[in-house]
Amino acid sequence: MDLASDLADIVGERLSCSSAELYCYSCDASQVRGRPEYVVRPKDRDEVSRIMALAFEKRVPVTPRGAGTGLAGGAVPLKGGIVLDLSSMDRILEIDCSCRQVLVEPGVVRDRLNLALLPSGLFFPPDPGSSAMCSIGGLLANNGSGMHCVKYGTTRDYALDLEIVLADGSVIHTGSQVLKSSAGYDLTRLFIGSEGTLGVITAARLSVVPLPKARRLVLAAFRSPEEAGLAVNRVLSAGIVPAACEILDRTTVEVLHRCDPHLALPTADLILFEADGEPTAVLDEAARIEEVCLQSAISIDTASEAAEMEEVWAARRLVGAAVSRLDPKKTRIYVGEDVGVPVGMMHVLIRRVQEISEDAGIPAMKYGHIGDGNLHVALFVDLSDEAEVERAKLAAHRIHLAALDLGGTVSAEHGVGRARSSYMRLQWGGALDVMRAIKRALDPRGILNPGKLDLGSGTDCDTADAGAGL
Amino acid sequence: MIDPRAVSGCVRCGTCRSVCPVFQETGWESSGARGKMLVLKSMTEGANLDSGCRDSLGTCTTCALCTQICPAAVRPTGLIEEGRRDLVLANVTRQEHRRLNRNLLRYGNTFGDGRDRLGWLGEEKEMLPKSADFVYFAGCVNSYRYPETAKKTFQILSRFSVTAMPKEMCCGSPLLRTGFDAGFLREANLEQMEAMGARAIITGCAGCYTALKGYGGLEVYSVPEFLNQRLEELDIQPLDLTVCYHDPCHLGRHQGVYDPPRRILEAICSLVEMKASREKARCCGGGGGVRAAYPELSQKIARRRLLDVPAEADAIVTACPLCVRNLRDAGGNAIDLIDLVSRALPPSL
Repeated sequence: MDLASDLADIVGERLSCSSAELYCYSCDASQVRGRPEYVVRPKDRDEVSRIMALAFEKRVPVTPRGAGTGLAGGAVPLKGGIVLDLSSMDRILEIDCSCRQVLVEPGVVRDRLNLALLPSGLFFPPDPGSSAMCSIGGLLANNGSGMHCVKYGTTRDYALDLEIVLADGSVIHTGSQVLKSSAGYDLTRLFIGSEGTLGVITAARLSVVPLPKARRLVLAAFRSPEEAGLAVNRVLSAGIVPAACEILDRTTVEVLHRCDPHLALPTADLILFEADGEPTAVLDEAARIEEVCLQSAISIDTASEAAEMEEVWAARRLVGAAVSRLDPKKTRIYVGEDVGVPVGMMHVLIRRVQEISEDAGIPAMKYGHIGDGNLHVALFVDLSDEAEVERAKLAAHRIHLAALDLGGTVSAEHGVGRARSSYMRLQWGGALDVMRAIKRALDPRGILNPGKLDLGSGTDCDTADAGAGL
Repeated sequence: MIDPRAVSGCVRCGTCRSVCPVFQETGWESSGARGKMLVLKSMTEGANLDSGCRDSLGTCTTCALCTQICPAAVRPTGLIEEGRRDLVLANVTRQEHRRLNRNLLRYGNTFGDGRDRLGWLGEEKEMLPKSADFVYFAGCVNSYRYPETAKKTFQILSRFSVTAMPKEMCCGSPLLRTGFDAGFLREANLEQMEAMGARAIITGCAGCYTALKGYGGLEVYSVPEFLNQRLEELDIQPLDLTVCYHDPCHLGRHQGVYDPPRRILEAICSLVEMKASREKARCCGGGGGVRAAYPELSQKIARRRLLDVPAEADAIVTACPLCVRNLRDAGGNAIDLIDLVSRALPPSL
């Protein structure tokens, strides 16, 4: 039998080889492309296990995929083979309020989980801009985080146990229901952020936390993004831990105003601080933030009404894709968009990014999680202008190098995928060889998401010069 | 022709995945708005126009939730219709849509029904004023499937110098939505409007409303808009009922008519909102040619929409006969706004 028949035996009609479908699974939100030969949508762990055993036997590449909202090509099948679309495995299997844990399948959409948790007064804090559509599996595979990780941490901090289907189809658990364990290697952390190169996550036990009783937003406006960055340093140095600390530069605010002219944001370089917790503590913390920012801010506003705050956060979540509204001829491309540096270096990074943008003659929105050192840079170009696209890629390269020069990372929360794999050696040096050794041990035939993270050498499917690129 | 620049405006963020009613039912990427944008992109790159493209683009209900939510201001609904036109030119179409086109060419209605389109008027047809300020446009579904609704609507509208077109033809919406040419229908209807010296046209169908507005140069009212402006004159008698209102996509998101039907309902009875309403209202699944060519999918979407009905609602009121039909077929107690209005009017009417 051919592979299609074998796969159909496992998933029935949840297999597609149609040209249109394969095209749709040939990309995510990045510029990386790679066409699969088969798309399957398994409904449970056993189907995933059987698919992996089959792929292992036939040495066929398998690329796991969640909602396909990734920004680095992590779910793009560079070597063809099978795309394993896990978004149909979307059951919330258990909500344990007393232990503050949930058990979910990987296809559960992040916002749906929090909607289900709302009656229990609990929530799962990682909140990327794509919360309305991204899946828990994708968040785990990329160690996603979002706007509140300055206080609440990243997805990694909430994973207690992962059910993993390994390359040969066997199934393991990496943890348990216990909150701490000193027995053996921390395999849970190994798989988080591994982008489907070591195994397929088919279930996750996550810890969740109580919803804060009160929240307050402080909007501080500055004359320049660097002044804004320095103000953040002063706030953090004062011992304040805001729940969120986001920068929106002037260009970003202009885009937001295009989306919603009534949005109550001053046109300046802004920092959005959020304080949350007990009501009196929130008032106190917000007042302290205001006090520190007063030294250099040109204006400070506060908001405590839920609707008012949600309006600002909703606009912030979608800004990454909204840049086209500034100039309909231009499209935002996701390159160099997720660098991270030590928090104290953010103002330097912002200045360098501005210089790079001006050198390239390419406008850039700068926004992101300044409180944890993560800057998102949105370069927008006319895709029909090849020279401009090339200049944008060069600018992205310089932004990556600037982040590394400042002791940072080429990706703080979006992942490496293929888009940033060429920086792995530069960022990790000899540690990349350890990662490669782990990859070979867990995936000796190199069938799991080949071509990503520069893990390639020495395996069947994976090679360092993976086909499709930027 | 598909505009490649407009298609490339999609940044594939996937925001539309969270709202696309078709994707929610099928789970396949090609069925969602983002997937459809990718299929359009493949078409601009010279992809083979096959059944995969057809079923991807063909399964859009044109509800425009994607257009409403798109942070990049892309308008997938209009682009999908452009793609459908290319598929029609390449003769890559569903049999059901070809039949629809044939029916309209031959009979001027979607059902291929040879009966008199104004049959719902009965003997009143003979007394129809030859000219009036306003013309009532019944549409295919009310004319042939809900003639009582058409009749009630006309009886109420008749108080305000309204007549009907003697040879009304389909507005063209089914053809425009599925990629066919509807120019001949537009011309036929416009000629009559001119001959009647009418100032404006009034319709009780959301699909007709969008299509008639697209004619250009025509003053168009939906029945809810028209009656809401004359609410004082109607002498409404309140009813002891609680209803919810389903926003038809082509009246709500496409044309921004949200408040007039609600004002009328509030004058008649208690109104409760559906779980998703106004700009965020979910689709009934009937539009865009989906009901005709993909009936199972259409009904799945309708059944999901019925989950939005509040427990206290005695009925789902809407202002589109296609929505009524699809929601009823899915088991919902859906009624046309005009059915409720006619119950709330004094017996003399």
